[in-house]
Amino acid sequence: MTGLYDVSHRHDDGATTIAKHPVPKGQPILELRGLQKKYGAVEALKPANITFLSGEIHAIVGENGAGKSTLIKLLTGVIRRTSGEVFWCGDAVQLATPNEAISRGINAVHQEVVLCRHLSVAANMFLGDEINKNGLMRKRAMTDAAQAVLNDLGFNLPAAALLSDLTIGQQQLVATARAAMRGTQFLIFDEPTAYLTRQESAQLFRLIRRLQAEGVTIVYISHRMEEVFELADRVSVLRDGTHIGTRKIAETNDAELISMMINRTIEQIYHKETLPIGATIVETRGLSGPGFTDVSLSVRAGEIVGLYGLIGAGRSEFALGLYGRQPLSAGEVHWQGNKVRIRNERDAMDLGIALAPESRRDQGLCLNLPIGLNINLPVFDRLSRGLTINRGREIENADRQIKDLKIKTPTRRVLASAMSGGNQQKIVIGKWLSHGAKLFIFDEPTVGVDVGTKAEIYRLFARLLEQGAGIILISSYLPEVYELSDRLHVFRQGRLVASHTYRSASHEEVLTQAIGV
Amino acid sequence: MSVETTTETAPVPKKGMNILFGLTLLGLLLFLWLLLGLSTTSFWTSNNISNLLRQGSMTAILAVGQTFVIITAGIDLSVGAVVGFSSVTVAWLLQQGVPLWPAMGITLLVGVAIGAFHAFGIVRMGLPAFIITLATLTSLRGIGLLVTNGSTISISNEAFTNFSRADFLGIPSLFWMVIAVAIPAYIFLHLSRWGRYLFAVGSNSEAARLSGVNVNRTIYLAYILSSTCAAFVGLLLASRIGIGNATQAEGWELQAIASSVIGGTSLFGAVGSVHGPLLGAFILATINNGANLLNVNAFVQRIITGVLIIVIVYFDQLRRRGSR
Repeated sequence: MTGLYDVSHRHDDGATTIAKHPVPKGQPILELRGLQKKYGAVEALKPANITFLSGEIHAIVGENGAGKSTLIKLLTGVIRRTSGEVFWCGDAVQLATPNEAISRGINAVHQEVVLCRHLSVAANMFLGDEINKNGLMRKRAMTDAAQAVLNDLGFNLPAAALLSDLTIGQQQLVATARAAMRGTQFLIFDEPTAYLTRQESAQLFRLIRRLQAEGVTIVYISHRMEEVFELADRVSVLRDGTHIGTRKIAETNDAELISMMINRTIEQIYHKETLPIGATIVETRGLSGPGFTDVSLSVRAGEIVGLYGLIGAGRSEFALGLYGRQPLSAGEVHWQGNKVRIRNERDAMDLGIALAPESRRDQGLCLNLPIGLNINLPVFDRLSRGLTINRGREIENADRQIKDLKIKTPTRRVLASAMSGGNQQKIVIGKWLSHGAKLFIFDEPTVGVDVGTKAEIYRLFARLLEQGAGIILISSYLPEVYELSDRLHVFRQGRLVASHTYRSASHEEVLTQAIGV
Repeated sequence: MSVETTTETAPVPKKGMNILFGLTLLGLLLFLWLLLGLSTTSFWTSNNISNLLRQGSMTAILAVGQTFVIITAGIDLSVGAVVGFSSVTVAWLLQQGVPLWPAMGITLLVGVAIGAFHAFGIVRMGLPAFIITLATLTSLRGIGLLVTNGSTISISNEAFTNFSRADFLGIPSLFWMVIAVAIPAYIFLHLSRWGRYLFAVGSNSEAARLSGVNVNRTIYLAYILSSTCAAFVGLLLASRIGIGNATQAEGWELQAIASSVIGGTSLFGAVGSVHGPLLGAFILATINNGANLLNVNAFVQRIITGVLIIVIVYFDQLRRRGSR
């Protein structure tokens, strides 16, 4: 079995060594024995024994820093192990380079899409493996073949379109389709649904099941418990670099898994605080701008206003409009009862609006700069006296946020890029805590964030509310907005289509309104 | 997700790492001086050292200005042309009978205007920095040649031309000018919030914008500073050669970029310092000076410079990667 789509037209240069030893379903295909990775003195992965069975969907869960990424990197040949053995189809293998992993049929689909945005969907799917005739690329043949694969998978995507014209979710599907047609035997998904809409996730799940039916072994890494239970046959839990255990999915439940992951019970993760609601902080009347039309809503002190909708429904666009990043075309903003004009981000910040944007990587952080600089970026004017920055206050402010938010770093001088998703989110939040605000807008604050950090972020919300702030929470994760919001607004196609108070509508109702069926 | 496990193993940039790198470059510079002192008799003469400092000074000032722009992930290809154009401007103004100080002031203002035009092209017209500064590079040479009708304007003001030959405390006045530029530049880049904004814009302009940084103003600032440094160098050059000539300083933009990069500035933005490009400029000047003293063919000198740029920057890359 060489995977779903053998559009392989390799004039075989021996690159593909897969399928030499077909492993019967249910038998070990990949075995890790005492696999260990050390960085200097730090054990990122303590000696682990994990067996992956041929044809299973094997979920791996764990908090950020638990060692999941290290494991993926070891399996895909990105880094080399310190000690231990790996057996592939019964043979000891090195997995020393990415090429070795790929040639054995081990592929990974990453959370952040690593494809070429300026090439077409088809060109991306065939990248590095183009169909050639007499040294020239056969673009037409590739487009047709790619389209056939996409159609067959039930992805409604044009193969000739530029990748940059697709949503992130669609790009993820392209990445998966690419891996599917490369004779993959062992496919690792690293949090694939983080940026996907519900329909896109559903498409992806269908594809994963289909790959499984074809005999492909799937490793599925996710923070979302319900996905693990929906998809996986078995699940392995990592914590602090240790393999805690592997369970059959039928013999466990999410409470057990979460306690294995964090030693904390699930009740503590969602905890709705009931706080007195105060005066209205902000009110929009018929606000319109790029990507959203006629949005009227208000936020009061001490409440969380949730905005739910599919990606592209106009929630983030509304947030950017309110924050002054996008010009408004119509409507009014009233701030604590007074009509205001927000022309740019500074105006918004000066009023007391803070925005933790959707994408940490693209909008939230200066990744190749130190944590300290990132935290202080909104407040340098306050930290300066005359021409120069007060060095002492700069250091003090950064260190205070790092300590308060428990950002896991030895010093503020570490680059933001070296931090995990959860810690990066804390840096973004730290920026706005040091600036201070009356209205906090959190756009997808828990994407790619582990359960422990999620709980910390939720507790932080409660703290902000206690201090009299209001929160706009934008999330594609329904249980989150549903449980946390005092009022929940549903967006669809740029419009606010429904509003609910806490738990006044069912999940199904809210979903139906968001999808619009 | 991503690099979770590196949390614990994340590189902890030593506080003195920048300084350390500066010291490595300083060591290289001193090593070159020692080597030349041993292999030639003429290197350690006061005449030659003065000459070396004068040669390096102008590139050094250009490189500092260039570094501001490169930190924002931009590039300023026009600085050589601005130097030539400024020499013409000041010579022409003096020829028209404008007093010395106003003439110099106006020349610097022309530099400011050129920088503002670059930023306008980038911010408002959406042109890549490479293109807009390349366009002014060629245009300014053309305007300068039109004004001078293809020849040169000689400068008769002796106070002006004597300046570049003067010494103060035994050190050439041109080198004092480097110090006069470097100190405020250091305060600006490393101690003020505007310096931090340059880094933030170079790292991720959208994140900077959403954090309340006025990105457009920061870009204006960077390009204006670069062009003003170049106009200042134009004054120094005019003083040194006593003429205004639009074709002077050919290729100096590349010298400035090379100095900056040798000094540890990253062309991808968000990495750079003030002391790095200064040392880079004097390393380049020393190589040229030494090659002259050793009678190395002028054509070969260019090749050596090219190879050295590759070697130095390559080792810098290795060092960075090693620390990751």
